[in-house]
Amino acid sequence: MKKTFWYPIVFMSILTAIFTFVLAFMEVSTADKVAENQKYDLQTKILYVFDIPVSDTSVDGVNSLFTQKIEEDGDLFIYKDGDTVLGYAFPAAGPGLWGGIVAYVGISEDYSTLLGLTFITQSETPGLGGRIEDEEFLGQFRNLDVSQATAGSYIVYNPSPGGNVDAIAGATLTSKSVANFMNEDIHRFISERRGE
Amino acid sequence: MAKQSSKEIFSLGVWSDNPVFRQLIGICSALAVTNSLTNSLIMGLGLTFVTALSSFTISAIRQFTPKHIRMMVQVLIIAAYVIMVDIFLKAYLPEFSKTLGAYVGLIITNCIIMGRAEAFAQKNKPWPSFLDGVANGIGYSAVLLFIAFFRELMGFGTLFGFRILGDWWTSWTIMIMPPSAFFLLAIVIWISYNVQHKNEKSGVAKS
Repeated sequence: MKKTFWYPIVFMSILTAIFTFVLAFMEVSTADKVAENQKYDLQTKILYVFDIPVSDTSVDGVNSLFTQKIEEDGDLFIYKDGDTVLGYAFPAAGPGLWGGIVAYVGISEDYSTLLGLTFITQSETPGLGGRIEDEEFLGQFRNLDVSQATAGSYIVYNPSPGGNVDAIAGATLTSKSVANFMNEDIHRFISERRGE
Repeated sequence: MAKQSSKEIFSLGVWSDNPVFRQLIGICSALAVTNSLTNSLIMGLGLTFVTALSSFTISAIRQFTPKHIRMMVQVLIIAAYVIMVDIFLKAYLPEFSKTLGAYVGLIITNCIIMGRAEAFAQKNKPWPSFLDGVANGIGYSAVLLFIAFFRELMGFGTLFGFRILGDWWTSWTIMIMPPSAFFLLAIVIWISYNVQHKNEKSGVAKS
């Protein structure tokens, strides 16, 4: 029977159907959980960009702190203390070595200082380019003065003249790409805001 | 193939027929993820899970699987289990899911899984196939962790992300770059070959 024409087709179809069903079931039953994880992740990261201390790291704790301090405007996050705007976080994105990188850049209300940086999605090589998510790299963007920067060169790696940040050793492509798209997107953001 | 006891299956998979340093398969991922112990551990666990369960499933349906489409069937089963691992990590261990990133998907292409499916699960009952998968997974993980131990310690001065060596330690950048994995893997193969062939050599010398 196994040698007949139709048997392999039927066999494969049934097997595929079973596995597809199981996977679809798993996907659907974890969808809410995954969405919740992503929301929590985003909120934690935006709070990190603005350097807002999180005392209660539970899902509800982060959510209430987030809604209290931060206002969403499209893909822009506005950090407010009462009615005073303290800063903005806007997305910056570009190609990485293996896939797209999406970052959020925090900038002070007068656009003179970068408040912080975080990466929302990146698929760089773990241990190499993936270290852009390490505090050692990210911490360098905390309160980084960019008021003197000429347009399009907010981030310059050491030891180039005017360097203000250290690149990641061994991850030249990732580091370069991050600086490039950040410089572009910071410039675009500032000129758009100033133009308004 | 003669029937093997569970003990034999384990000693073969972990040591005398170890997938990495004896069969020389699964090398690509062994080279790629071993610059950090955490990544190696998760990769090892993921691979053990997938190899064990896919071997089990392939063995369970081996009598119904037409020979000429068996590879297609194997790939389907392996891919399904890898996606399950991916979904599970995303939902319940989001931190690990992020650390591992692209590597979860790459488990599908690991030669060990298909190697075991072809070499063992096709011809054996489900339970021994499951054990064989676990044993090979452990053998693979052990080599990964061994290499990662040296690479992470010398490359970052950390173990599982915790700083072990103080500020006086100058990190060897080469240890986190791919070339060091080649050196270390070669050393592992060299040592294990010598240990495994020690008895044979001394036997030859005596006669």
